[in-house]
Amino acid sequence: MLLLAPVADLDAPPLQRNANRRLWFCIYLPALPLEASGSAVDARAVFEERKGIRKILLANAEALAAGIRPGLSINAALALTPALCLEERSPRRETQVLKELAEWLEKFTSFVCIEAPSLLLLEIAGSLKLFGGLKVLRQRIVSGLEGQGFQATTAIAPTPLAATWLARAGRKVCILDARNLNAKLGPLPLSCLDWPDSVAASLRGMGVSCIGEALRLPRQGFTKRFGAARLLELDRALGRLPDPRANYRVPERFSANCDLYEEQSDSVLLLHACQELLIRLERFLLARQMAVQHVRFSFFHLQAPATHLALGCVQADRAVQHWFDLLKIKFDRLGLPAPVIAIQLRAGQTQRFSAETDILPFNKQAKRQNRLSIAHLAERLSARIGDGSVHGITTVAEHRPQYAWRRQGVFGDVPHCENVPGQRASHAPSRLLDEGQRNNSLELRRPLWMLEEPRLLVVEQGRPVCEGILQLLDGPERLETGWWDDDGIARDYFVARNPEGMHLWVYRNRNKESHSWFLHGIFG
Amino acid sequence: MNDALRKLLANPRVWRGQVQAGDQGWQGLASGYPKLDQQLPGGGWPLNALTEILLEHYGTGELQLLMPALAHLSQPRDDAAEAGWIAWVAPPFEPYPPALQQWGVNLSRVLIVRPKKSAEVLWAAEQALSSGTCVAVLLWPSALDDVASRRLQLAAEKGQSWAIAFRSIKALSQPSAAALRIRLSAGDKGTDLGILKSRGGRPAIVRDYAG
Repeated sequence: MLLLAPVADLDAPPLQRNANRRLWFCIYLPALPLEASGSAVDARAVFEERKGIRKILLANAEALAAGIRPGLSINAALALTPALCLEERSPRRETQVLKELAEWLEKFTSFVCIEAPSLLLLEIAGSLKLFGGLKVLRQRIVSGLEGQGFQATTAIAPTPLAATWLARAGRKVCILDARNLNAKLGPLPLSCLDWPDSVAASLRGMGVSCIGEALRLPRQGFTKRFGAARLLELDRALGRLPDPRANYRVPERFSANCDLYEEQSDSVLLLHACQELLIRLERFLLARQMAVQHVRFSFFHLQAPATHLALGCVQADRAVQHWFDLLKIKFDRLGLPAPVIAIQLRAGQTQRFSAETDILPFNKQAKRQNRLSIAHLAERLSARIGDGSVHGITTVAEHRPQYAWRRQGVFGDVPHCENVPGQRASHAPSRLLDEGQRNNSLELRRPLWMLEEPRLLVVEQGRPVCEGILQLLDGPERLETGWWDDDGIARDYFVARNPEGMHLWVYRNRNKESHSWFLHGIFG
Repeated sequence: MNDALRKLLANPRVWRGQVQAGDQGWQGLASGYPKLDQQLPGGGWPLNALTEILLEHYGTGELQLLMPALAHLSQPRDDAAEAGWIAWVAPPFEPYPPALQQWGVNLSRVLIVRPKKSAEVLWAAEQALSSGTCVAVLLWPSALDDVASRRLQLAAEKGQSWAIAFRSIKALSQPSAAALRIRLSAGDKGTDLGILKSRGGRPAIVRDYAG
């Protein structure tokens, strides 16, 4: 027996210690080629070309009732039902549908993987508590799939392969303990393994018709006949070997199209299509805990170049209603040059969504509403009158008056003046200081109105004129700074009064070449 | 006799010229200029209403007139609510932040809106007023008829906001729904202020209001 020691390696490995830690939910979509084909006509079928013969792959209920069976050649099918709508199977479209489904499923778990051609695997052990138990979760997934028009079989097992096989076999079972896998998987037919026909045929020739019987075969002989990979597959399914899977990662930028099948110019219909796209955007963002600040709609025309409509909001958002409101304001003023044949929605760079916890409605409710609506107000305004026309202002520590301030976004880095007691205490002295400064620094008075560009003043009798000869009240305040960058100034600022009673802020250049006077501000 | 008199005075149709609105139950916002406050019913600016300021030139002390009140409004209030925003719709020049700060205005609550068309000025002001987020909305409309002023007045009531419209002195003869109309003109010493119309108060003239 010692000589046969290597044989011991081929004994079935024991169950993995952490085999029960994960729970896999498998979704099998047997009719995916048909469901992905999209068009909704009465009797339709999907065909596939194999060895030069085009045969029916799947048919919908109406077609089945008319006698169309999978495997029928398409000529025979058309003879049976001339009105049959035939479409070639499109693996590209199927993958696209699987990806979209995977995106949707990400709301149930963070771990979704796509198993081409028609399987989706979800790791749900971590989601059970959140969704209120296995039964509820399963119910929600299944009804969600049905709502989207997919026919699916689902199964739950501690290993991904076991769940896959059970789903393929159409068994709606739920195995929670890996020790039960052996017994439950045993009766499954070999067809659910999705092994090549030659392997299945030779197994059948050996009198093996179900998985349990295949497991009973001597491991060494099984490896020799069918390859180690198949044996390892069986071991993985039973939880004896680890079976790591790759998580599906969706692209971080959202883009979706909506084809309209015929040209449309009805704005209600177009807006509805846009709303559908926005719903998909929200779903995309929800799965990632993300939000976007900019989206762009493109309306494609047959005879004209596409029309683009960009929307932006102050605070990254993902709510359909919010984006839709903005869209409606802009859409009315868009004026499409021609009917639309397709719409595309592209979202900008996603940002982390900073969800705000609902504050208990004791006394802070008013405050919360207040802050939400300033963002909304700014958005509404900028949606109509243009971006950049709505902004806040702030000061910059700089001696040159024209650089002592800048515009800033309304919600960029606005410090919220929370009314916390501690902070209020710090507010009070600063206000006092402000008042003190105001009184002490009369000679450093700044005008409330600034001109965008200083205006050159005419000089009469050696004195500047602005609607009459100016009378200098205060000054000069000499500002000579900024020589280090190319925009240095050397000016004497004065407070002046014109005969109309306006108080102006004027300066005289101290450059050697020009001693001209300029009007820079008005004391409003 | 006294009873009969009291009954007569309680009749809302009787207007008493001598009594200002101080005992009419509403409180104005102190303007920061005692001379002016004395003349205003309620002892200050009428909030939740439209105030019109008519002037010949910009720079006759029209912003200075409002600054103490705006500074007060932009600071966090004692109740839990955050300080409201002050919207400037279509200002003729750039409001200069260092000067606003010198007056004590909280710059993080200033919103500048620059519509490109004149119709949008009124639209933006109405949106800002009725949104409930702005405590004050300053606007410089190119034209303001009585319908528009009525709309602004209603929006100010709805959003509990203070609308201040700056207009040319040429609008003096036009009817307006404003609760308060003020005319500013340069005087010998400082700016003279004429109260042309004030709801619940009487016309008056305040010479050199800041003095």
